[in-house]
Amino acid sequence: MGEDFALFDPDKARGPRPGPDVGKDVTAELVGQAGDPRSDTTGLPTPPLSVSALLARIKGALADAFPGRVSVVGEISNFKRHGSGHLYFRLKDAQASIDVAMFRSFADRLPFSPSDGLEVVIDGRVDVYDVRGQLQLYAEALTPKGTGALELAFRQLKEKLQAEGLFDAARKKPVARYPRGIGVVTSPTGAAIRDVARTLGRRWPGARVFLVPVLVQGEGAAGQIAQAVAMLDASADGLGIDTLIVARGGGSLEDLWAFNEEAVARAVFAARTPVISGIGHEVDVTICDLVADVRAATPTAAAELAVPNAEEVGAMVAQLGQRLRRSAGQAVRQGGSDLQSVRRSAVFRDPVARLRTQTQRADELGYRLRASVRERLSIGRGRFSFAAAALAALHPARLAERARAALAELAGRGRWALGGRTKRAGDELAELAGRLAAAHPRHRLALLRQQAQGLARQLEAMSYRSVLRRGFSVTRALGGGILRSAGEAAGGMRVSTELADGQFTSVVEPVRGAARKDAGKDGRDEGGLFD
Amino acid sequence: MAKAKKTFAEAIEQLERIVAQVESGQVSLEESIEKYVEGIGLIKQCQAILNSAEKKIQLLAKGEDGQLAPAGEFDQLDQPEPQEQ
Repeated sequence: MGEDFALFDPDKARGPRPGPDVGKDVTAELVGQAGDPRSDTTGLPTPPLSVSALLARIKGALADAFPGRVSVVGEISNFKRHGSGHLYFRLKDAQASIDVAMFRSFADRLPFSPSDGLEVVIDGRVDVYDVRGQLQLYAEALTPKGTGALELAFRQLKEKLQAEGLFDAARKKPVARYPRGIGVVTSPTGAAIRDVARTLGRRWPGARVFLVPVLVQGEGAAGQIAQAVAMLDASADGLGIDTLIVARGGGSLEDLWAFNEEAVARAVFAARTPVISGIGHEVDVTICDLVADVRAATPTAAAELAVPNAEEVGAMVAQLGQRLRRSAGQAVRQGGSDLQSVRRSAVFRDPVARLRTQTQRADELGYRLRASVRERLSIGRGRFSFAAAALAALHPARLAERARAALAELAGRGRWALGGRTKRAGDELAELAGRLAAAHPRHRLALLRQQAQGLARQLEAMSYRSVLRRGFSVTRALGGGILRSAGEAAGGMRVSTELADGQFTSVVEPVRGAARKDAGKDGRDEGGLFD
Repeated sequence: MAKAKKTFAEAIEQLERIVAQVESGQVSLEESIEKYVEGIGLIKQCQAILNSAEKKIQLLAKGEDGQLAPAGEFDQLDQPEPQEQ
């Protein structure tokens, strides 16, 4: 046959087709009679149709009923995108469903992705796929019901990119405050570039402006825009470009569609240079706007956000200048005033004053030092005197004085016993006086000694006077010692005799006998009286 | 760009720093004067940039090497529509 079936040219199904293995002439049957002999109302028997014949008839009938395109609304189910790019699904309503096939050439034009559950309007042709006898709706156009295809596509892409994080605020880069250069992606004709150029020139004329002209709608626009952004970003450092502007004037969703394409979104996201997007009017929000680092309502607004106002900045610089002059001037004045203060200060007027003060102070300190030393010395001396006095109290002369006083007291009391005691006392006194003399051989001491001796004699004298008053007498040899024994008296010897109230001298007559013998005994016996 | 020539951003930043230092009063008198001179220099630079004007837009187009290359000045009045690739 060489002809394709109605798959690609339903129109040709009008005419009868020969079946593959039919011997009879089917044409007559198709043109003439109806189908099943069993249900034939004419009652005439008809031969059974071949499958092909049946289908051919059906196709014909179908073509008659639906000569051209048909528009069908329904819900997609069992959606499947074949590897070949063809789409296969069922279109259904509450009661019925029909198979749909959408071939790649048509399917590729869809801006959105069909999916199960989507209510759509399909424009296409109905036909029967002979090989399987299957009724098919061949879709040539497919639009979502209730919303535009573009709107749906926009929503789908937006959700997809948002999920990937392309819109994340954290990833937005800050725009340079004082950019050296600005790269603009837009159409070379149209209002956008005019507005951008005018605004940049007015606000910040010092920055260089670069333009990469592109298509902003229609076939290929998205690709050009994406490429322009990528190339500008790559050359930014070399050209001194700090910020990019992607701009387009107002239009319909279709007009702006290029800026909703995935390619543009990804190029803007990938750019290291900050991108300001100004597409359409205030109400128009494109995917490009959502991905950009800053979204501007219009191209003019984009330019305003890209650069500062030179007038305002100039005022700020002037103010900085004023502050600088003021504070520097203040510093100088302060320095001058400090200098004046120093010059006027006492030190400068009378530098010697300080010296005088110090000298006076030195004198004062010296005086105090000396006074302090003197005081210390006098204290020391005082202590010394005290010590010396204490020491002097222990001086042997003093001791002798005290001894004399003690003796005088004793003499006053008159408790001295006669004889031996007297003698002993006298001896002791003499010994004491002798010791004192030995301890301190002084003139006064000699006096004391004499006194002591004198005292002793006095005592001695006083002590036996009472005895003498009783009638006794003391006889002494003129040479000195007391005669105790008669034997001591030799004839012719001169002796002195002491009586209670005086003494006299006499010569001894020669003594006979017994006196000599008894001298010793008597002496002793008489001594006993004196005991 | 020559290293000696500051960008506006750099100049402003340094100027603000200098003014803050001198205002703080924590610099010596000598330093105050030095900074004043430096600050005045920066102000002049800023004013020069502010008063400069780049009149023309620079056109860029894809060159043979695939990179952007200068393509003359942009004059709005006689631009053709860009061609499809």
